[in-house]
Amino acid sequence: MTYPIELRNVSYYYSPGTPLQVAALKNINLKIGEGELAGIIGHTGSGKSTLISHFNGLLRPVEGSVIIDGEDLAKDKETLRAARFKVGLCFQYPEAQLFEETVARDIAFGPKNMKLSDEEINERVKKAAEFVGLKPELLEKSPFDLSGGEKRRAAIAGVMAMEPKVLVLDEPAAGLDPGGKNEILSMISEYKKRTGCTVVLVSHSMEDIASVADRVIVMNAGTIAMDGTVDEVFSHSAELRSMGLNVPEITRIFIRLRELGYDVPADVYSVEKGAQILREMIRRRSV
Amino acid sequence: MVRDITFGQYYAGKSLLHRMDPRMKLILTFGMIVAIFICHNFYSLALMALFAAAAVVFSGVPAKMILKSIKPVMVILAFTAILNIFYTKGGETYFEWWKISVTEKGVNTALFTVIRIIVLVVISSLLTYTTTPTMLTDAIERLLSPLKIFHVKVHTLAMMMTLALRFIPTLIEEIERIMNAQKARGADLESGGLIHRAKALVPIFIPLMVSSFRRAYELAFAMTCRCYTGGNGRTRMKQMKLHARDFITLFVCLAVVAGIIVLNHFFTRII
Repeated sequence: MTYPIELRNVSYYYSPGTPLQVAALKNINLKIGEGELAGIIGHTGSGKSTLISHFNGLLRPVEGSVIIDGEDLAKDKETLRAARFKVGLCFQYPEAQLFEETVARDIAFGPKNMKLSDEEINERVKKAAEFVGLKPELLEKSPFDLSGGEKRRAAIAGVMAMEPKVLVLDEPAAGLDPGGKNEILSMISEYKKRTGCTVVLVSHSMEDIASVADRVIVMNAGTIAMDGTVDEVFSHSAELRSMGLNVPEITRIFIRLRELGYDVPADVYSVEKGAQILREMIRRRSV
Repeated sequence: MVRDITFGQYYAGKSLLHRMDPRMKLILTFGMIVAIFICHNFYSLALMALFAAAAVVFSGVPAKMILKSIKPVMVILAFTAILNIFYTKGGETYFEWWKISVTEKGVNTALFTVIRIIVLVVISSLLTYTTTPTMLTDAIERLLSPLKIFHVKVHTLAMMMTLALRFIPTLIEEIERIMNAQKARGADLESGGLIHRAKALVPIFIPLMVSSFRRAYELAFAMTCRCYTGGNGRTRMKQMKLHARDFITLFVCLAVVAGIIVLNHFFTRII
């Protein structure tokens, strides 16, 4: 069976062969299946960004192999180039990549590199802009005239327009206000629902991952420390804490409530759900 | 790749050279570079080379690092050596074929120039190895401060230099980030002809310019917030003071220059 992304015994070192050699990834084995929405979580410096840079061959593993859609990236240059379009990588603060005169042309940069026809490119630009919720009149503006949140959307649209099989987003909500953050996150789950693509979401925020992901991969010191469903991973709250991570605040409240003897579920990851449960409890008590 | 460019190649240490007043170090480095060009025979040059070697020993910078700084000028060395060997004529002829001949004078001049360049590089790299960029710009500011009489904004110039040096690694990182982002969108930076490659740089340089301007504004704003108003009335945390070691080094350098002049006088000119 082929996976969209498969890593076999991948290790990566920075400055190999020098006294400054640092192991950024240690013997990583990872399979991400078709249509999954996987969240990668980890403390700063745990190797998240190094890991996703392997998915499209920006970094080559020092040891092991990266297999994208059944093809080893080490095979030849064409395979590597094809991987750039199969795996759409959207880095942290992607608005830093905007450069064209208009938003539309910037979104078209990726598809143009794929050597698509002009009509196809136009079609994709419109579709991607609609996906991220950019109004059509913004498309003819300069990307530098957009607001911060709009820039972020335009940059994400630039990656989406390549219609990759796998969309990888590194901290897509970093630096946005709570409203903008929720919009981006719901946009991502919407994208996954409508296209059926595989999505990998990198974040250090447990709340973000819990609200959208089916599967959570926890990175710690260059290794995969945990890999499972949201419930499975969050049930190891002590271990997570030792890695400098934590379960969402609302979950912590509910865990504490359970310790105090209240009959509440432990798998509460969003404030909305938590509030609903608490309201019901209070209502029941007052009855 | 881009990360490998070392800039401001400071080698941390506590040697005599590290502790010297950067102003004195700067002046003496300039003085000794001039002295290299005063040498006109192998004896005075040997004295100069000896001085450079002694300076390396006193600096505590490993010889390996010094060799690393000579590496980039290897091409220039080879080039000057070849030109001098074939184009300078005079003295005994060692080798002759068609229009090409190698003479005594040619070999001597080539050897002389090569040694001279090596000594030059060693002495100037010692300055950057033992002085941090900040110390260096500080020293420049102090040394140029008499120009204030002519309304030259010495402090501003020095601040600009410090900031430029400070932001080089930041910009290198930024270029790497942008390059990765554009590569992820399928930008092809490695293949194609010259025009294609030049065009491929547009998606890198425009975002770089934009972010540099943003950084500059933010920095200016942050400096204003901390009440930065330029050099007037500004005091320093680290005062520069001349110590005995500075004067001793000055004396040694003067002795070397005197030695060079004497040796120049007693032996025949080569160059």
